[in-house]
Amino acid sequence: MKCTHRRSLGLTSLMASVLILGGAALARAADFQLPALNSPPSSEHHPGKMIWADLVTPDLAAAEKFYGGLFGWTFQRIRAGEVNYAVAMLDGRPIGGIVEKAIPAGQHQQSAWLTFLATNDVEAGKKAAVSHGAKVLRDIKSYPLRGRQCVLSDPEGAVFALLASSSGDTPDYLPATGDWIWTSLHAKDAGAEAAFYQNLLGYDVFDQPSDDGLEHLILSTDNYARASANDLERDSARRHSHWLNFVRVENASDSAAKVVAMGGRVLVPPRADRHGGMLAVVADPAGAPIGLMEWSESDTKAEPK
Amino acid sequence: MKIPRGRLMASGLGAMASLLLCACEVTGVGVEGSVGYDGGYYEPYGYDYGGWGAGYRVGPGRCCDHRDDHHDVGRGHAGRAPAYRPAPAGRSAPSIPSRSRSR
Repeated sequence: MKCTHRRSLGLTSLMASVLILGGAALARAADFQLPALNSPPSSEHHPGKMIWADLVTPDLAAAEKFYGGLFGWTFQRIRAGEVNYAVAMLDGRPIGGIVEKAIPAGQHQQSAWLTFLATNDVEAGKKAAVSHGAKVLRDIKSYPLRGRQCVLSDPEGAVFALLASSSGDTPDYLPATGDWIWTSLHAKDAGAEAAFYQNLLGYDVFDQPSDDGLEHLILSTDNYARASANDLERDSARRHSHWLNFVRVENASDSAAKVVAMGGRVLVPPRADRHGGMLAVVADPAGAPIGLMEWSESDTKAEPK
Repeated sequence: MKIPRGRLMASGLGAMASLLLCACEVTGVGVEGSVGYDGGYYEPYGYDYGGWGAGYRVGPGRCCDHRDDHHDVGRGHAGRAPAYRPAPAGRSAPSIPSRSRSR
């Protein structure tokens, strides 16, 4: 009798604990709302377009200071449990996120921006990616306002995310200064990688003339250039396939100098690119690479030859 | 048939745990126990992110760049047929959007 009573009490306590812990977790999760990409929602859908980027870094405050100083971004902090997350805003619009996370001791990993490519259907995208050689790094997850997303590595190991935005995709405007303007894939075999992403996102693929003997491809959807796929330099002993995102700047040289003054590094010094404007690649103080690209209004208004 | 109270409570506990797991999936609570966003480090340390040669061009062209006639459409790697389906020969690579966002 005594034993039954004790067991009953134990079970009741266990059930109460589950309820309290679960309730607390749900309450904290309810506070953690990744923002919608578009408010009001956009009716546009552009599979294959880069629509978001997240930075994982060991020092959120330092990253805010760096990117705020460089691009004029402001930040909206979100805290949930042990996660510190800041939404990067440009002119009141969310354009990216920064997650604070310590680099696990003994792990040789580095801070980087994660590229989010738009898709209409994450499940179908994941399935197609896996069937063409991708690996799932983070399975599909739903965030009510943001949408559904998953993180994958392509057949060469370049990491990217697919996002089916709940509020539509970022409309097709010329990005403002401080906004994402471009994303490029650097791979050992750009052609094979372009085929992979073409199967996944339906890109049109345009071969670009080059003087360096390497393959450079433009990937487009909706008759807009969305990304490029480029062979990595062959003589680099430490080649690693990756995506690289570019922010529009007024002056790439000035921005690169600012990066150095704020504790970052220049990886590719400012140079003229295909459109005639300058671009550069830099690393923030934590080592995360990011591109800087100038784009004058007249660049896109030029009439076809 | 009398079901022991302990078994009943255990079943209830199991059902509640399942319910919580489902709720976690919907609200974004990570299955690994983290609450919120589970961003991670995916890039290995110690690799080159630069080292571009002089002719290395990665950006978009201006509006409607035309292909160089001296290059085949979708020539592929080292003369091989490309793994991708090249855009039709008559089409030029497009540029990025040009309309400005009204503020």
